[in-house]
Amino acid sequence: MAVPKRKMSRASTRARRAQWKATPPTLVKTVEGGKTTYSLPHRAKVVEDSTGAPLYMEYKGRKVADV
Amino acid sequence: MLANLAAALFTHKSIKTTETKAKRMRPLVERLITFAKRGDLHARRRVLAVIGDKTVVHELFTEIAPLVELREGGYTRITKLGFRKGDNASMVQIELVLEPVSPKPKSAKKTAAAAAASAPAEVAVEETEPAAEEAPVESAEQAEAVEVETAEVDAEAAPVGDAK
Repeated sequence: MAVPKRKMSRASTRARRAQWKATPPTLVKTVEGGKTTYSLPHRAKVVEDSTGAPLYMEYKGRKVADV
Repeated sequence: MLANLAAALFTHKSIKTTETKAKRMRPLVERLITFAKRGDLHARRRVLAVIGDKTVVHELFTEIAPLVELREGGYTRITKLGFRKGDNASMVQIELVLEPVSPKPKSAKKTAAAAAASAPAEVAVEETEPAAEEAPVESAEQAEAVEVETAEVDAEAAPVGDAK
């Protein structure tokens, strides 16, 4: 089994860990009835009734799936 | 697993699965539907080689095949839904496109393409003559303008050269 010969320095450990960065998701902005929502593109959205209870998933005006 | 997914899709017409599985099963499903549209015994046996369940295959041949008779491919539709809670896998709804074919956008495109194909031949003939008439005039004007400009440039350049 291969075994590290030298102790890994704090600097190189931290340099490796520093490379792990979060990327901002690409969102689309939709303004509907004065309310702005940001959502992922090309993805079905949940349709809610007036009380906010989820009804079904919709994509491009078509009912796609149940929630 | 793909065969089982395809059988489930033919049974339920619309199933929820992961994006990877849906994209892998799509070609298989479309090929099976093509066999179903052919409808003969050989085609049925080839479908039965993939899907063992005779009831599903019967349903595919008798119910689904007539609905997609006029559709030339693209029998399935994949819609992304979101991400699964446990492993964050992208979930999709894959469904059979059983609606009757509406050739409206397709025909519009085709007619436009056909018009565009036939029009240039006619337009080209019409355009060449006016273009031929206009072009010499324009080119002559441009040529004059260029000459005037070059003359001016020369005139400006000359004193500088003299000064040196």
